[in-house]
Amino acid sequence: MNEPLTSNTKAILLLTAPLIVGRNARADVLKPREYSGLNQHLHKIHKEPADLIEPGSESLLDECSHVISRDRLQRLLDRGFPLSQAVESWRQRAIWVISHTDETYPQKFRDRMKGQPAILYGCGDHTLLNAGGLAVVGSRHVDEDILEYAKQIGNLAASAGRTIVSGGAKGVDQAAMNGALEIGGKSIGILANGLKGAATNRAHRDPILNEQLVLISPYDPSAGFNVGHAMRRNKLIYALADAALVVNAEKNKGGTWNGAIEQLGNKIYSMPVYVRSTGTLSEGLDALKKKGALTWSNPGNAEDMEAIFDVDFSKTPKQRSQRKIPFDTELATTEMVAESETLYGSEFPQSIKQASGTRNSTITPADELFQAAKSLVLQIAQTPRTRDEIKAELGITQAQANEWLKRLVDEGVLEKRNRPVRYLARRQGLFGKENSL
Amino acid sequence: MAVLYDPDRALQLLRLGSGLPQAEFREGQEEAIRHVVGGKGRLLVVQRTGWGKSFVYFIATKMLREAGLGPALLVSPLLALMRNQIAAAKRMGVRAETINSDNTEEWDEIETIIRNDNLDILLISPERLANKRFVERVLATIGNRVSLLVIDEAHCISDWGHDFRPYYRLIERVAHDLPPNMRLLGTTATANNRVVEDLQTVLGYNLEISRGDLNRPSLTLQTIRMQNQAERLAWLAERLSVFTGSGIIYTLTIRDAEQVAEWLRSRGLAVEAYTSRTGDHRLELEQDLLDNKLKALVATSALGMGFDKPDLSFVIHYQAPGSVVTYYQQVGRAGRALESAYGVLLSGEEDTEIINYFIGTAFPTHNEVEQVIEALEQEPAGMTVSDLMGVINISYGRINHVLRLLSIESPAPVVKEGNKWQLTAATLSEGFWQRAKRLTKLRLEEQAEMQEYVDLHSGHMGFLIKALDGDPGRAVSHNVMPLLPTKPDPRLVLEAVAFLKRTNLPINPRQRGLSKTIDADLRFQPGRALSVWGDAGWGHTVAQGKYEAEHFPDELVNACVALLHQWNPDPFPRWVTCIPSLRRPNLVPDFAERLATALNLPFRPILVRIQERPEQKTMENTAQQARNVWGSIEVRGTLPQSPVLLVDDIVDSRWTFTIAAYLLRSGGSGEVWPLALAQA
Repeated sequence: MNEPLTSNTKAILLLTAPLIVGRNARADVLKPREYSGLNQHLHKIHKEPADLIEPGSESLLDECSHVISRDRLQRLLDRGFPLSQAVESWRQRAIWVISHTDETYPQKFRDRMKGQPAILYGCGDHTLLNAGGLAVVGSRHVDEDILEYAKQIGNLAASAGRTIVSGGAKGVDQAAMNGALEIGGKSIGILANGLKGAATNRAHRDPILNEQLVLISPYDPSAGFNVGHAMRRNKLIYALADAALVVNAEKNKGGTWNGAIEQLGNKIYSMPVYVRSTGTLSEGLDALKKKGALTWSNPGNAEDMEAIFDVDFSKTPKQRSQRKIPFDTELATTEMVAESETLYGSEFPQSIKQASGTRNSTITPADELFQAAKSLVLQIAQTPRTRDEIKAELGITQAQANEWLKRLVDEGVLEKRNRPVRYLARRQGLFGKENSL
Repeated sequence: MAVLYDPDRALQLLRLGSGLPQAEFREGQEEAIRHVVGGKGRLLVVQRTGWGKSFVYFIATKMLREAGLGPALLVSPLLALMRNQIAAAKRMGVRAETINSDNTEEWDEIETIIRNDNLDILLISPERLANKRFVERVLATIGNRVSLLVIDEAHCISDWGHDFRPYYRLIERVAHDLPPNMRLLGTTATANNRVVEDLQTVLGYNLEISRGDLNRPSLTLQTIRMQNQAERLAWLAERLSVFTGSGIIYTLTIRDAEQVAEWLRSRGLAVEAYTSRTGDHRLELEQDLLDNKLKALVATSALGMGFDKPDLSFVIHYQAPGSVVTYYQQVGRAGRALESAYGVLLSGEEDTEIINYFIGTAFPTHNEVEQVIEALEQEPAGMTVSDLMGVINISYGRINHVLRLLSIESPAPVVKEGNKWQLTAATLSEGFWQRAKRLTKLRLEEQAEMQEYVDLHSGHMGFLIKALDGDPGRAVSHNVMPLLPTKPDPRLVLEAVAFLKRTNLPINPRQRGLSKTIDADLRFQPGRALSVWGDAGWGHTVAQGKYEAEHFPDELVNACVALLHQWNPDPFPRWVTCIPSLRRPNLVPDFAERLATALNLPFRPILVRIQERPEQKTMENTAQQARNVWGSIEVRGTLPQSPVLLVDDIVDSRWTFTIAAYLLRSGGSGEVWPLALAQA
């Protein structure tokens, strides 16, 4: 996809996107809630985001100043040059960008989500996004038999002509997606970070060129790993699929559990959420069943597979009426967005937000690196891991590993267990409200 | 942000900048400034060089800055030539800085200036926008505040523009991606209707156009066909000695510029060559011309737009350029503030061949692109240019050219991550080839139009104005001075012929092998080539001897003897040997033996070719060339332990000389002095 950006998309990028090119100064971009408010206001006065960047838009900025301060709007909208540079750096890697105002924006996000992402970055054939399919979710670190299981699911879905929708992460996600791709099927990967690297990864090149694979992300292609992003991305996976299979999940913990719980309670769009029913099962899968997940019926062929999607869901999907205005101002209400932000955003300890979010001037690159390392180590050490495992995951030297691990243990966020020496992320306070779910 | 335009302040700035307290705006100047400052949308200014386009953007920048807005960014292909304009900017209190690949050591300082908001306008070349380090370091600092983008030489954005500058593809997309609230000013001296239409599509957003008059009444234009170079050299020497004032002589290639300059200097004329190789001396040379210390600069197109010497009294072309627009721009430097000046176009037999070469190599071939892509496909982790040179037989320059052009396509099939090139998830579109084909065709049409101009006997100015879509309603001037003689002095022609045959060129030793440095005592000494392959001096004779007669005539032996006496290498060779060939076993040895006899030295053909290899000229890059020679030659018999003259017919990559010298010196010979009949 190589169409020029629409004026609306340009305006929305200026308002909401960090436009990361190298080490540019972080801009005070609008949060989803703020953007939603602005968009509502524009709609009310029969304007759209594009009008904000027309020559002579001064009076319009004034009219919006009670929603977002005039200075802040001006500062954001003056980022025209960085916008052109960022778009160019994406395009060099065959990455496209669209906004919720574009026709190519996935209809399913419009229909099924509250607070759908204003911007989507992607690489590959965007028409795949409307195909629906089977969401497969699970964790990064799983045993070989679980990986094999996920791959078989991918095979099966592909043979039934169904697309795999997943998060593109290591482990279950990639196994399922590759399972579909390897027999000529299709996959959608919804990334929480690293689209820039994924777009030029050679393993993705052929499937993208063959229109089998599309990678998308609501986050800047250059943005680093961020726990909050990884969590929020789950909603998008469910929204693009017609049914979901949880391959594994730990009870009350992590993105997979959380995403599944959220979907089971989704008031806008319900769909069958299954849990794995063969092999070693876990407390987490049982707990999900209690929350309403269905037992995977282990379809053995393409025909049986169809039945998976054919559930007469007692709660009829509440399809939302066709939108008249570009960004739903009724459903993406301030209240609802605020709720999800409480869940995934503001409850995070400051240190994690700083790792990729707002940066203040006293933070040095060394601090930033450490914060990024911290969130990665804590993510890896969700189960007890040896120093060598962590070292290998991060691809760093032993000395560096020792230094970071010691510092994290000293900070009290990492627990050091003995005989054998292993490290485990301390949960207390780290995932905030999630622990109480 | 809207800014109120203050006409009094604008005029004050003009007077400060020009240094003329009574200065008034030229037609269209003030309107353009008001348009830009007021943020009324995008503007294209088409005005001849010298009209004062730089005043438009410097005054606008100053006024925007005074209103509290961020700095301006100017993109121009020829920054080196903007010094006059920058000086004018300084007088208005506009702080301008240039960032280019030559001043990386100043980047930190400039970044600090930007961070402290002390910079008013940053001038960069379009290539900078493709430089990751620049984009990520410098632009990231300035980016959020850029208030105005100025695109100089905006015609380069258009496919129909006369000079093809690949990086303007980037500018085109940047302009496309910029939101309409961003101030954008394009400037150019020449844009025909087709270019203007193209720019309207690219720059869009209700582009306003300010256009000026193309007529140049002070110019006396003339065209003369003179096939051979010696005639043109003679004509130049004669004219330059009688012309008043100083001027520019344009050539198509660097080699021609250097040769013409050398010839004119040998005739006692104060001239210097000015090319992309001139480097740091450029500034000095320009100043010498401005101060009339030089009669002329002999320049390639490196001396281009922006060089402003109002009293330049002649512009002479030694060879015809590829298009009428290029010609108009170059000849237009003459007589800006004079009553009269000469613009003479000489055209010779080699023009078409050189222009055809430029046209033919502007785009990569299908084969080159396929080879590069296929090589990259084999390496998922990416490859450096050196890696590529190891596996494909394409020259360093061509590999870079292919990668550069592909990487600025949209979407790009290759991307540079770190120092390695990688494939992306995009393939090269058919559009690339269609565009290459269309542009090649256009270039050929332009060349044909240039030749039409060469054949004119009168009405030169009218022809140029019409070709550039100038306003047909305006007056066209006629020559004010008498035409110059079209025949050179025959005696001078003979001297020019002798000059062309006297030229000899240095052959410098390679210092590095493929993987490590070659020890100094195993390298050859700096050698000489008698001629340039196929040129008007001995080059023709060498080419004929090699491929037609299969024998080098005695006049080449005599020329080499003369060269050796003039060169006088120290310690002088005590014996002669030569590079062996299985393909033509006698050609070079026969010549070397006659040369040895003439020098009264023994001839010892002790180097033998043990294996037939493809001709060295078919090896396109240094890795392939070295590999092609290595192991194919060896020393047979006893080596005299004294200095040796090593003879070959053609020198190109110098690998053959390098490896032969390595073998000779390792075997105990004295210094090795290479001598080639021609340099490829």
